[in-house]
Amino acid sequence: MTLMKKKGRPNSEIPTASMADIAFLLLVFFLVTTVFDEERGLSIVLPEAQNEVEVSPKNILFLMVQPDGIVNIQRGENPQIQPARASEISAIWRQEFANNPNLIAAVKTAPNAPYRFMVDVLDQLQSAGADKISLQVLE
Amino acid sequence: MAMNKGGLKRKSKAASEIPSSSLADMAFLLLIFFMVTTTFRKEQKRDVVFPEAEATEKLEQPRKDVLHVYIESDGSIFINDQLYPTDQVSNVVAPLYAANTAMVVMLRSDRDVPYATIDQVLSELQAAGAVRVAFYTNLEQRMIRERR
Repeated sequence: MTLMKKKGRPNSEIPTASMADIAFLLLVFFLVTTVFDEERGLSIVLPEAQNEVEVSPKNILFLMVQPDGIVNIQRGENPQIQPARASEISAIWRQEFANNPNLIAAVKTAPNAPYRFMVDVLDQLQSAGADKISLQVLE
Repeated sequence: MAMNKGGLKRKSKAASEIPSSSLADMAFLLLIFFMVTTTFRKEQKRDVVFPEAEATEKLEQPRKDVLHVYIESDGSIFINDQLYPTDQVSNVVAPLYAANTAMVVMLRSDRDVPYATIDQVLSELQAAGAVRVAFYTNLEQRMIRERR
């Protein structure tokens, strides 16, 4: 009788010592597999179709992105073209915008230019606080 | 005297162990957090290298309001894991936009895609009425810019 009692005692409880280990194992699995996939990027609002607005040419700053990444800058009707690197555009925009607060940036990208050059220019413009940006193809 | 000694001994015994009974509770709490926040991606992984930009911003739109348009380096366009020709994009996007007008189109395009492809997609989106567009970029670090 006494022997039987002793044997029965250790089995009467559920072992909880390994509970934390199990939980941590699962925890590590979820820690490793979790990806916080956030949406990030440069947002822009396109003009609605059949809703084109006439803009005076003197309020436009043309940024012509060439296939090699060089950006030719043309100020409105002024035929003079100033070549610049993408990294300089932020400063140029700030300067031009200070002179003319109605300025619109028209990014004209060559059809065979890689997408990243257009993003570089857009990045510089948005860093400089430009909000009126037009995206076009360079003809 | 003897009583005092015993009492002291008992006290020190109780404090000598780190309480581990709440360990499992803590672990489960963290576990539940990660289980709830985990999202397994529905879309297939695409072989796309994103451009980098300093002005990269986090979009506030909830996940359900974002439509992903993948453009691979060879110019193929994928919407919801399906390949579409360029001129079909507006036909695909228009009903999706009509169903959810809060939709933002996220252009996840490869950095080396010719701009002509992007422009075609943009005008297709314009035709579909989906005018809120975002270009997916990775955040650019200053150091990388300096080296270029």
